[in-house]
Amino acid sequence: MAVATIETSGLTRSYGEICALKPIDLSVPEGEWLSVMGHSGSGKSTLMNLVGGLDRPTAGALVVGGQDLSTLTEDGLARFRREYVGIIFQQHHLVPYLSALENVMLSQYFHSVPDEAEARHALERVGLGHRLKNRPGELSGGEQQRVCIARAIINSPKLLLGDEPTGNLDHKSTLMVMELLKELRAEERFTVVMVTHNEEVAAWGDRTIYLTDGVLVREERTRS
Amino acid sequence: MIALKLVPHLVAFFGMATVALRGATRRGMLAGTALAGFLVGTGFAVVSTGSVSGQFSFSLVRALLALSFLLFCAVSFTALYQSLGGSLPVGWLERLSSRPVSRSCALFLASAAAGAVAGCRLGPAVPSWVWGALAAAAAVLVLAAVLLESRLPAGLSTSRAGYLALTVAFLLFSASWSTRLDLFAPLTMKVMKFTHDFVHQFFESMLIPDHLFIHSYLWGYIGLLFGKEVGFWGGLIIWFTPVVMVFLAIGLERLPSVAHLRQGAQRRRVLAEAIRTRRMRLVLPGLALVLLASAVYRSLYPSVEYWDPKPVPVTANAGGEIFLPRKGEIDLMDGKLHKYVFERGGKTARFFVLLTPSGKLTVDLDACAICKPDGYGQAEGTVLCYYCKTLIPLETVGKPGGCNPVPVPFTEQDDGIHLSGVTLINTWSGTVQSTTRTTEKGK
Ligand SMILES: Nc1ncnc2c1ncn2[C@@H]1O[C@H](COP(=O)(O)OP(=O)(O)OP(=O)(O)O)[C@@H](O)[C@H]1O
Ligand SMILES: [Mg+2]
Repeated sequence: MAVATIETSGLTRSYGEICALKPIDLSVPEGEWLSVMGHSGSGKSTLMNLVGGLDRPTAGALVVGGQDLSTLTEDGLARFRREYVGIIFQQHHLVPYLSALENVMLSQYFHSVPDEAEARHALERVGLGHRLKNRPGELSGGEQQRVCIARAIINSPKLLLGDEPTGNLDHKSTLMVMELLKELRAEERFTVVMVTHNEEVAAWGDRTIYLTDGVLVREERTRS
Repeated sequence: MIALKLVPHLVAFFGMATVALRGATRRGMLAGTALAGFLVGTGFAVVSTGSVSGQFSFSLVRALLALSFLLFCAVSFTALYQSLGGSLPVGWLERLSSRPVSRSCALFLASAAAGAVAGCRLGPAVPSWVWGALAAAAAVLVLAAVLLESRLPAGLSTSRAGYLALTVAFLLFSASWSTRLDLFAPLTMKVMKFTHDFVHQFFESMLIPDHLFIHSYLWGYIGLLFGKEVGFWGGLIIWFTPVVMVFLAIGLERLPSVAHLRQGAQRRRVLAEAIRTRRMRLVLPGLALVLLASAVYRSLYPSVEYWDPKPVPVTANAGGEIFLPRKGEIDLMDGKLHKYVFERGGKTARFFVLLTPSGKLTVDLDACAICKPDGYGQAEGTVLCYYCKTLIPLETVGKPGGCNPVPVPFTEQDDGIHLSGVTLINTWSGTVQSTTRTTEKGK
């Protein structure tokens, strides 16, 4: 029985009147790849932000990696994000005037100290060893997303969150990114939680949960 | 007034005590040691300035300060040398100095020096309750130091050389508030004199045998070496070199080896933490730098209060004798400089009467044998020659030579002081004529 990486009970997040996340009980064992599906506005991003320490719950318990996020201070939460979580968004959020290499090194800098050799190695692992000096604007969408993956894993997170990382990619690029994530997970053994609208993408995971209007309505095990 | 005078010294002692407790194990004992040292130091200052000789205690304290500075130089040099990878056979010394008892001894000495500085600043003519208050203040400050130290962040530590830097800086800072204990001014004088002698020895013997090409303009550069600037800048370099060496030694400290850590992120985290710690270790030496800089400032712009009395006209009686009552309108015994002006046959002479710390009255011209007769003012245990700004300790006033005021023969009786007007005028004329001549010749 693996240790739970994410453990929520009665987790709730409401914006004033709107209740984006109704009380949710969720348990994600260490090393699992969980896909999150649901229609637009169902609260998928809200859940991700809570689990990643980007947002605070209005009610309920939220324990990630053994830490009770609702009791952490702002500083503690920042450290949690820095050292425990790697995040990939649909919009890549790369710094446009820095090269791919510098974007990865920036993440190292916020974590601890930059190490160029290590950053270069990370980009080589995602197949961008030849595009180190290019800026995000000079890279294709798939390449940009691979820079984001390099950036997300550079600090060896225990938990990798993806909020529709393949949302903007064509079929071929999507496959490439998913293949890469699978490889990396085999090496680094992090837990993955990935939001997607794409059944095919969701099938890469071990388990898929479905949200509707902030309620966990269904979950199913995928076998691969 | 007195209390205000003591503030910088008490602050310095407080800082020193706080620093001494950093990273120590038996804080209570150390705090007690600091207090005891301070009290012994003050006690020493009281007894020696009062009974032996003020001059002696000032010299002793200054020597102690100079020694601590030299020790600091040696330690900082060693520290830098070692962090550059050099090895020195000082292992036994390090073991010795890391023993708690050595730490206590060092703290005792440093506190004693701090106490003696405060004591010297007050001087002997101070009521005993002031000493009591000083002791009480020191006790309170030691307690406050214990409290403050326990609240400082744990990361605020530094190397052993760094702690020494801060301790010595506090001492020198404290001393800089007394013109007679200030170490920077004598240092610049020493540098100036050394350069002067060196240039003489070196260039005169080596180069004077005429060299066609260098000769003329080389002298232009050599001239620079004789200026006052050389002493100041040279002194400044010596003053700050050890603390800069401590900075470098810490900055060059090896980061821990991370080769055994497999994961890049963890390696970087360990490195980042080590770098942060190393940076924190520079904070206390940085404070030492600030203290040393402020000591230089104090030395350049001392805030001493000058006693600058107006000369009181006096006349001679029928027998040509000037009489100054011991306790008339003016109290000759109050330890202050009392200036008079005497006129006879179209010539005037200025002189002053002063009670020296040894308890004897002295009568001197308001002029010395070497400077223009601009006269003297009184400042904190010294008289000051307005022309050349030399400080003359009160103890040596009444003795001839150098820039000391020229003594005038007089007789002291129960009622007061008697001196001959003619002798006074003649002494004045002799002195002033000769100084005017020398000054002109010098130009
Ligand atoms: N900051 C906010 N303030 C107010 N309401 C918000 C805020 N963020 C999200 N919501 C609301 O919460 C609900 C859930 O939003 P969420 O972003 O989690 O949806 P989602 O499942 O990620 O949708 P999509 O698939 O379109 O990204 C929505 O109704 C949204 O309008
Ligand atoms: Mg969303």
